[in-house]
Amino acid sequence: MSTENAFQISVPDDSLSLLRQKLALVSLPDELEDAGWEYGVPLADIRRLVDRWANGYDWRHHEALLNAELPQFTRDIPVDGHGTLNIHYIHKKSDTKTAIPLLFVHGWPGSFFEARKLVPLLTQNSEHHPSFHVVAISLPGYGFSKAPSKKRFDMDQYAEVCNKLMLALGYDEYVTQGGDWGFLITRKIAHLYGPRHSKAWHTNFPGGQPPSLFTQPLDFLSMLINGLTAKEKEGLQRVQHFIATGCGYSAEQGTKPQTLGYSLADSPVGLLAWIYEKLVAWTDQYPWKDDEVLTWVSIYWFSRAGPAAAGRIYFEVGEGEPAKQMARFSAHESTSIPLGISRFPGEIVCFPKSWSKNLGKIVFDREHDGGGHFAAYEKPEALSGDLRDMFGQGGPAFGVVKGRNGYD
Amino acid sequence: MSVESPFIISIPQESLSLLQQKLRLASFPDELDDAGWDYGAPLTDIRRLVARWSNGYDWRYHEAQLNTELPQFTRAIDVGGHGALNVHYVHKKSDAEYAIPLLFVHGWPGSFFEARKLVPLLTRGSPDHPSFHVVAISLPGFGFSEAPRKKGFNLDQYAEVCNKLMLSLGYNEYVTQGGDWGFIITRRMAHLYGPKYVKAWHTNFPGGTFPSLLGQPLSFLTMLFHFLFPSFNPQMQAGFDKTQKFIQSGSGYNAIQSTKPQTLGYSMADSPVGLLAWIYEKLVVCADGYAWDDDEVLTWISIYWFSRAGPTAAARIYYEVGGGNTQKLGELMGTPEYTASIPHGISRFPGEVAILPKSWAKSNRKIVFDREHERGGHFAAYERPVDVCGDLRDMFGRGGPAFGVVKGRDGYNS
Repeated sequence: MSTENAFQISVPDDSLSLLRQKLALVSLPDELEDAGWEYGVPLADIRRLVDRWANGYDWRHHEALLNAELPQFTRDIPVDGHGTLNIHYIHKKSDTKTAIPLLFVHGWPGSFFEARKLVPLLTQNSEHHPSFHVVAISLPGYGFSKAPSKKRFDMDQYAEVCNKLMLALGYDEYVTQGGDWGFLITRKIAHLYGPRHSKAWHTNFPGGQPPSLFTQPLDFLSMLINGLTAKEKEGLQRVQHFIATGCGYSAEQGTKPQTLGYSLADSPVGLLAWIYEKLVAWTDQYPWKDDEVLTWVSIYWFSRAGPAAAGRIYFEVGEGEPAKQMARFSAHESTSIPLGISRFPGEIVCFPKSWSKNLGKIVFDREHDGGGHFAAYEKPEALSGDLRDMFGQGGPAFGVVKGRNGYD
Repeated sequence: MSVESPFIISIPQESLSLLQQKLRLASFPDELDDAGWDYGAPLTDIRRLVARWSNGYDWRYHEAQLNTELPQFTRAIDVGGHGALNVHYVHKKSDAEYAIPLLFVHGWPGSFFEARKLVPLLTRGSPDHPSFHVVAISLPGFGFSEAPRKKGFNLDQYAEVCNKLMLSLGYNEYVTQGGDWGFIITRRMAHLYGPKYVKAWHTNFPGGTFPSLLGQPLSFLTMLFHFLFPSFNPQMQAGFDKTQKFIQSGSGYNAIQSTKPQTLGYSMADSPVGLLAWIYEKLVVCADGYAWDDDEVLTWISIYWFSRAGPTAAARIYYEVGGGNTQKLGELMGTPEYTASIPHGISRFPGEVAILPKSWAKSNRKIVFDREHERGGHFAAYERPVDVCGDLRDMFGRGGPAFGVVKGRDGYNS
């Protein structure tokens, strides 16, 4: 049976030394005058971050902080057709014995690190709100989990790993929270394992489709007659802009992740730029501190499978075709368990609310005034507030997990 | 006035040292079992090439060969709104007194290096075929040319540089050959500078436009028929399938370069391994089974690595001409610019990345030469120099459809 091992992040000295050596040899490109952010990450930002990374940034300090804050473990999880993968995860229990087991699933370029601020809030004891036992998995190929070694590790497999992890931890019933790939994966978990194991799901990255005459006749007609609100229009324009100018990473990762991978594995500055661009573009004016960015990116640099593995999810889900990837995001997947949605205005894909109607059994839907794609990291209080309201006493998903309603 | 300086490729020793230091620290990614080429360039290929690059590959030897074979120069060319750019080019004259001036324009990930095998063939004098004075430009941002410093260096600017170069060499009338970006740029040149300066243009990257009902009724109806009965013309369908596959699964590089070339550029500038893989993938996938020699690949890529502007600058052409979004380039390819004032020649190679019906190229062009080949791919001048040269000789030679287009320079001695 799977055995759990306590895990501490402990990057070998060799790896730190190699990083330092590479940074010492860094070659930076030229830049057009007044380029700003138009062509990608500005040179001044990268110069500053590289200088800090080489000089002053203390990985050991941040490594120790993470180990102190986040109890981590690894265990072997067998995946049909893919052998056994050693999976890394955070598992922080609340003092409340009957806390609700919650699985947090990250995306790209996220990691378990995104749950850092959410964990203490969700596990916090109180008679006024429910608490949770939080499991934040490192998806295969991310963080300190092993990567798949065979082709076609797709949504079903990611969902299988997640479900098996929760079951292995003794959580026969649980709820999930996910954004980015975490949305698709937790939706698949809801589809495959709900309501037997997955009892409710919450997302900050709702997909959806425009209403059609057949699926949502009233919404469809309303859209035709009344058009979209100014806010909805603006949201769709942002989606348009994202697709036209911000999806190159997805096209490359979705077609030639190996080719790209040589750069990301060999060049820390290349990896830094690749990820940092999204950390800035996808957040809602989050005031990134340099060390914060460097810790985020260092997790990718020092990841167990190396930085190239993480991008493969794009290829597998789209079968090598980005258009298929997009279709998977929008395609309907039937789920029967309660769904909660939190909407943050800086999200990259902001569909009109009516487009999410068919996502599932929506019992909670809240809009926020600020925050972007990395909601758990940018707005942990707002997100934990939403989860507390959704699952708390009087909330629409109160008591979904038998015997674990989140209170003492 | 622009002053020409002879140029010898002479990479500083410290650049070679830095490359070696980086290669010694090379970190490789993992790879899925049996990945083959499905996910991109295979790990064994890249490992082998990196091992060779750091041990055995002799840049100085290849540098010397290039300098011997290809007479090179630089000169300052003023580009409206962008100041003067120092442009690098190969200029090899033929022995034939009245050789035809020909400008060869490369694309991405090409360079002046692509013309290497073509140059001796085209410049060779003979009473039996025309010969050419060949100019192979390094486009701004490529090879040993300076890169633009300002935003907005667009198609007109590339065309302007090319035209001004030929004029500054005393070639008031000339012809062009181009593929990839070279096709798009020489098409713009034909549009802007033909027939006054550009007298004819030849391409190995035909492209084409979906026929319109009014403009090309016959072609349009043929297409309609084909959509209804695709199995009737399997060859045409195969061409579409190949083109579609390239667009769907082979154009990720295009998407990132036309939207965030700077973000990508940090990798390209910092990692020779990353740059190697990025370009090598195209060399293999876009050529037609060409038997690349490792040293050949490494020389091709070293030109990018050691380029004057660095490897990042070259990809900006996708952003500038593609308008910073992923749709524009496709539109640009398909938009038929008026070039019918001058004769046009096409050479079709089966390994090209986009294969469209022949009739689609007709729009707004005066096609006088159109030949299909059995072998060869995207880098035709490099893979099939004899074929490309043969086609140019047939197009411009005595009895050919573009014979004598350049006044007083018909390609022969008498």
